[in-house]
Amino acid sequence: MSAPSTTPLASPPAQSQPAAAAVDAVKAYGTGEAAVRALDGVTVAFERGRFTAIMGPSGSGKSTLLHCLAGLDTLTSGEVRLGDRSLSGLKDKQLTLLRRDRMGFVFQAFNLLPTLTAAENIRLPLDLAGQKVDQAWFDTVVAAVGLQARLEHTPAQLSGGQQQRVAAARALVTRPEIVFADEPTGALDSRSGADLLAFLRRAVDEFGQTIVMVTHDPVAASHADRVVFLADGRIRDELHAPTTDAVLDTMKRLGN
Amino acid sequence: MRKVILKGLLARKLRLALTAVSISLGVAFVSGTFVLGDTMTATFDQLYEGLTEGTDVTVRGESAFTDTTTLGNTKPFDTGVLDEVAAVDGVAAAEGSVTGYALILGKDGEPVQPGGAPTLGASYPDVEELSGGMSIRSGEAPAGPGEVVLDAATAEKTGYAPGDPVTVLFADGPREFTVSGVLGFGDADNLAGATMAAFDLRTAQQLLGKEGVYDSIAVRADSGISPEELRDRVTAALPAGLEAVTSDEVVAESSEAVADALGFFTTALLGFAAISLLVGALIIWNTFSILVAQRTRELALLRAVGASRRQVRTSVVVEALVIGLVAAGVGLGLGVGVAAGLRAALGAVGLEVPTTTLQVQPRTIVAALLVGVVVTVLAALLPARQATKVAPIAALRSIDAPARPMGRVRLVLGGVLTALGAAALAWALIEEGQLQVAAVGMLLALAGVLALAPAIAVAVTTVLGGLLARVGGTSAQLARRNALRNPRRTASTATALMIGLALVSTVTVVASSMKASVAEVIADSSKADFILKAASATAPGIPAQLAEELRAVDGVDTVTQMRFGPAQVDGATTFVAAVDPATVDAAANLDVSSGAVTDLDDRSVLVSDDVAGAQGWAVGDTVEIVYAQTGAQQFTVAGTFGNTDLIGSDYLTTLATHTANGGAPLDIAVLLVAAEGTDLDTLRAGLETVTAAYPNAQLDDAASFTESQAATIDQLLAIVTMLLALAVIIALLGIVNTLALSVFERTRELGLLRAVGTTRRQVRAVVRWEAVIVAVLGALLGAVLGLAFGAALTRGLAEEGLAVVEIPGGRLVVYVLAAALAGVLAAIGPARRAAKVDVLQAVAAA
Ligand SMILES: Nc1ncnc2c1ncn2[C@@H]1O[C@H](COP(=O)(O)OP(=O)(O)OP(=O)(O)O)[C@@H](O)[C@H]1O
Ligand SMILES: [Mg+2]
Repeated sequence: MSAPSTTPLASPPAQSQPAAAAVDAVKAYGTGEAAVRALDGVTVAFERGRFTAIMGPSGSGKSTLLHCLAGLDTLTSGEVRLGDRSLSGLKDKQLTLLRRDRMGFVFQAFNLLPTLTAAENIRLPLDLAGQKVDQAWFDTVVAAVGLQARLEHTPAQLSGGQQQRVAAARALVTRPEIVFADEPTGALDSRSGADLLAFLRRAVDEFGQTIVMVTHDPVAASHADRVVFLADGRIRDELHAPTTDAVLDTMKRLGN
Repeated sequence: MRKVILKGLLARKLRLALTAVSISLGVAFVSGTFVLGDTMTATFDQLYEGLTEGTDVTVRGESAFTDTTTLGNTKPFDTGVLDEVAAVDGVAAAEGSVTGYALILGKDGEPVQPGGAPTLGASYPDVEELSGGMSIRSGEAPAGPGEVVLDAATAEKTGYAPGDPVTVLFADGPREFTVSGVLGFGDADNLAGATMAAFDLRTAQQLLGKEGVYDSIAVRADSGISPEELRDRVTAALPAGLEAVTSDEVVAESSEAVADALGFFTTALLGFAAISLLVGALIIWNTFSILVAQRTRELALLRAVGASRRQVRTSVVVEALVIGLVAAGVGLGLGVGVAAGLRAALGAVGLEVPTTTLQVQPRTIVAALLVGVVVTVLAALLPARQATKVAPIAALRSIDAPARPMGRVRLVLGGVLTALGAAALAWALIEEGQLQVAAVGMLLALAGVLALAPAIAVAVTTVLGGLLARVGGTSAQLARRNALRNPRRTASTATALMIGLALVSTVTVVASSMKASVAEVIADSSKADFILKAASATAPGIPAQLAEELRAVDGVDTVTQMRFGPAQVDGATTFVAAVDPATVDAAANLDVSSGAVTDLDDRSVLVSDDVAGAQGWAVGDTVEIVYAQTGAQQFTVAGTFGNTDLIGSDYLTTLATHTANGGAPLDIAVLLVAAEGTDLDTLRAGLETVTAAYPNAQLDDAASFTESQAATIDQLLAIVTMLLALAVIIALLGIVNTLALSVFERTRELGLLRAVGTTRRQVRAVVRWEAVIVAVLGALLGAVLGLAFGAALTRGLAEEGLAVVEIPGGRLVVYVLAAALAGVLAAIGPARRAAKVDVLQAVAAA
């Protein structure tokens, strides 16, 4: 497998600027008594070419953090950066174009437009931008997710695991600076989940992709280079080169 | 369960409002038609009742037949009869009167009433009890040859006051009078919209050409004698040919005749209402189908927690019932507005409908509510049945099942119907005069296309969407996929528009064929250099005196008059034309095939080839024509003619025959041929000096005549299009509705699109393109059907003078483009909503 020339095979130097970062991020819902601080002063950076997992109990603010990083939601205070660019104060249109051109997404479910075939779904961000498809890269990504035979199928004709892999291929096809995934394996059986995780791992290793993934699953988290633990809207811990057991231990410890 | 239903209703306010609007519009049309019809009938009833107030019995000439064509047009009789009637025991008072044609000119010299309601000249009654509520409001009753009283409405409109000079136009020309007073009719300012110029009896008799005769005698009974008793006594004293009738009989007869005349009108309006309702029903059905589809999960959940099939079905039907009732109520209210609007629209084109308060009868209310509710519930029943088929497991399915494909039965049935319809239309196109075949073909083709619509929608959308995708890029591509996602839905939304547009196109094709035919008829059949007609198509004609004066103009070779009168042949009322046999040939090409025009005399008739062929008549045979005033008359066939296009009648008699049988001395048209070598412009100037005194007559040459006829046809076309426009508007609302529902349904998809980088503008474009696809699909189908229908109808009406089929291609293209534009407008609301979708909520909803 040949890697594209623009992305280095190895991880980038650690001192380079992070792909995305949150600084003192606060997100509050409601006011007064009923106020919820979904993010309560989160500062975190995601290095280029690395696979980061975000974990934490339900309601700890994982999705909120991801949405704010992706410009789908705005912070109450603090700042979010994509590369050297701050997302604060950007208009909807600018954020939309950033998402289209520089980010990729994989959601837990309902990732695909039911009217489009797998191939069309993968190409969608490029078509929206009116860009030509880099056929070699498209083929590489499709081959990596093993969907060559399913390209002309519609989502209804694909299994849940296949649908998620289509979504992953779509997230990569624009060569985004960062891919966000919110519980991408949440609705999959362990086998399909493992396939998808293996693909995300390869994207990082072989194409130098940066990935941030929210997950509840310690096994899924163990595919990452680093795990960030959230609880009550704050970062509580961090693991590098995690194993399933280490993740479980940390979860237990934070649970008390 | 009731709570669930109500909550469901309230949760879908917008959708319900849109659904309700389409029902309301349909109901508004139905109730508006009833209101207008009732109002018109009531007006005439009031009028006739008022007119006969105080009169117990009327004496008049006997009619051989009575219908709207002869109403109030009886044979005058000698004034001597009055003495005989007055002498009858039990008669308290009796007075004779005459009526006729008198057109009042305003201060500007223009006719006060160019067309529509009658322009009456009458004798002013001396006996107050017999005046039928007629009274002088200001000034004095007319006395002597120089005085006239005008109805209050005319006085108001023109500003005439007692003492003013006024010109009145009679059949024998214009005359000057002094206004002596202003007339009222009880509380009313005029007689159901008719203008009236009244003179003293002697003057009226002179002016109206009724010297020594009366049109009728009003008789009042001594107290204690019933009208029937008086009628019988008077009848005994009357000479042959006269009859005495009670006022009740007069009112009943008049009302019936008016109802008859209005019957056609209200039937036509109800036809338009039915079309609107059909389109409305399609939309309601569509809306409920979508609502049910969207609520599949909700309904399945209801079923899963133990709601019975029946309960689910009831919930949908009750919802429809509530909407239907509310919408019908609103529609009823709108209907009164529609009636007022229709009245104004008719007035604007010279078909003025007399004014009285708008009549909302219980029948109208019942009909409106019933129609609204029944149509809505029926349209909701099918989706309700589907709703009950929802299996509880449907609640668990995450990706919506793909739409059911079209059933084979429907496909085959639709194909067969369409093929039969096409065959019938083709037949009607090839062979002239097959109106029934054309009608059957239209129905079959329409039904067939409706059945095939989903399949057609797939084919057209694929091609059309492909073309649009070249222009509109990814947005159009996505829109195409959306339109193809559920072809049934796309099809039923589009077919609502199709029906409206098919009708508009049909009418347009027929109208332009009419225009082309007029031009051809004039070119083929007329040899006249100038044509004179009444300026308004609804006016009774132009004074005969005008033709006399035209003959004296320098450079005129021939002037030939044409008149029209009702008569019965073989028990059916037809119009018999009257011409001057000596001159008609010079100006018109009658295409005489046997006998000769010059053989036509006062005891003979010319018959069209068609009628002669059908009846087996030949030159020398005897034909019986029954005139209302003079009864059955025998005529010898003097010849047969082929060209009925110019004169539009199958029977031609002499002008003398027309007059002898009670025909009005008004020319329907005057044809004029210039002497050889005359400069037409100079001649026109000469003619205009004469016609200036007759502002109700219009002087045209062949070209301008064709143009003015075309203008009249365009006016008619405009009315019909306006009536049909309602169906089109309802269909467009249907597009708004469907789009709004689809947007709601696709919240998650739209959120996903936005999340992966679709701009708001692109989202709006997707919705817009989908609207354009649906609208153009409907418009294209409609235009194609309308073209076929219009052409077939035109051929079917070939014998009615529609000689040419003219396809207004440019106009049809404009319709389709306009529909596309309307689609864009219809998409504005839904597109906005789509662009506002909250990305987070949409992706979180997963
Ligand atoms: N729109 C909102 N309005 C009010 N509160 C909200 C809203 N969205 C999220 N929250 C609250 O913010 C907190 C964090 O929510 P978030 O969805 O980020 O949690 P999460 O870690 O993703 O949980 P899960 O693992 O269940 O997905 C929760 O307490 C939640 O109730
Ligand atoms: Mg979450």
